[in-house]
Amino acid sequence: MEGQAQSRMNDTELIREAQRGNSSAFEELVRQYDGPVLRLAYHLTRSEQDAQDIYQEAFLKAYRNIGNFRFECSFYTWIYRIVTNLCLDLLRKRQVRKEDSAVMTDSEGGSYDLMDNVADERSGASPERDLMRRELGARIAKALTKLTPRERMVFEMKHYQGLKLRTIGEILNTTEETAKNTLFRGTQKLRAALKDMKT
Amino acid sequence: MNCEWVQQNVTLYLYNELADDARHEVEQHIARCKACAAELADQQEFQARLSLLPVEEPSASFLAASRMRLQEALETAEQNKAWYHRLTFDPTAWLRQVRFSPALAAVIFMVGFGGGIGAMYKAMPGRAATSGAVDHTPGPPSISSIISIEKQPGTNDVTVQYDKRMPESVEGSVSDPKVQKLLLYAAKSNENSGVRLNSVEALASKADDPEVRETLTYAMRYDSNPGVRLTALDGLASHVKEDIRVRNAVLDSLLNDSNPGVRKGALDALGPVSADSSVRMALQQLAKDDPSDYIRSASKRMLESMPNIY
Repeated sequence: MEGQAQSRMNDTELIREAQRGNSSAFEELVRQYDGPVLRLAYHLTRSEQDAQDIYQEAFLKAYRNIGNFRFECSFYTWIYRIVTNLCLDLLRKRQVRKEDSAVMTDSEGGSYDLMDNVADERSGASPERDLMRRELGARIAKALTKLTPRERMVFEMKHYQGLKLRTIGEILNTTEETAKNTLFRGTQKLRAALKDMKT
Repeated sequence: MNCEWVQQNVTLYLYNELADDARHEVEQHIARCKACAAELADQQEFQARLSLLPVEEPSASFLAASRMRLQEALETAEQNKAWYHRLTFDPTAWLRQVRFSPALAAVIFMVGFGGGIGAMYKAMPGRAATSGAVDHTPGPPSISSIISIEKQPGTNDVTVQYDKRMPESVEGSVSDPKVQKLLLYAAKSNENSGVRLNSVEALASKADDPEVRETLTYAMRYDSNPGVRLTALDGLASHVKEDIRVRNAVLDSLLNDSNPGVRKGALDALGPVSADSSVRMALQQLAKDDPSDYIRSASKRMLESMPNIY
């Protein structure tokens, strides 16, 4: 708790410095939050290029607008709000274009199958078992794309990133209750889609 | 509390999102209701299935590359000021902006320096202004380029227009601003790697200056000669703690430099900040994948010597 308060205090100082135009202070803020941001964007988009674009755009947006930051929420919530909005835009675009398939692109523009990205690093896993796990992983990835962008976002932040629903509500500018309902709907859809899947 | 309520809240129960009293009641209900216990087991199995799509941590090199790209964009990015900030002029912020525009500063310097040399030659060939440093004019002028050749009509005469280059030298301390500017220019622009190496070596003692650090960082990342890169790295090593840009650049060298000697130097330089999460991730990657035996084992040793914070 003391550490959290300390970190919040450091953030406040860094934000004030960044608001005065000190880009080193802003870079320090970036370093505190960019790992989880990149992880969220990468897991959601399953594409290095898209994840890096979202990362870049989110922090540039934060830098340009930090003068308007009023300390009404934490920097963490603020940057996550920017990132989730960018991710939601991308997911919506993908849904419209119906281009969400298991084949994605990496940072060099090459394509790869999602299945290749679901590796089994446990020692002693047999190739057959490994292949099966990859197939199942790819099925889950595909099922996730069937959720609405908002359901996907809530599910991602709750299940994979472990955020509290209250925080998720704050990030998405909604209530905890709405976030709960969205999580419930998303979970039910996923369960139905993966019902016949056996591990 | 009925079955319908419990079954709707099993998800929240598993995600630890229920208040303590509600949690207790769910547990009590499940202990005596087979249907709800089956629902809980089903949900638990569903969550176990989802672990087949693990959350992958972005690799250290991916994170480092993203940071580099962002840093470059931040060099030219401008903040949108709040309305009341637009009404005031903050000279310290302005100065900081100028300080953090090294590319612009380099261009201004090069243009100014080149223009100054040209103007000086035309007005007073062979003579240069001094600022504490001693100037020499040791050699005759040489031709740097032919601008145009025009034949005079009806004769065998031609008019050749050309630029002359006058060699000059300056002697003085590395701290002398004029000498330092020449060294900074040489470190970035000279074609001769020996000249670059000597200028980087001389500048390494002045790495407290942000402008010098910027040039050393540039040399460490982009110079084609590994000796120059290593010398620049040596000069920067003592600044990895307080200068994030230096730390990022050294991390980038550690992960991406083609020369094992430079990677080894970067590894040693990052020792004092090995607790940094990005450094730790880089070490984990190197311990696993680096083609050099030395770097793999040194990375492992560094990781083993750290307190386990996870």
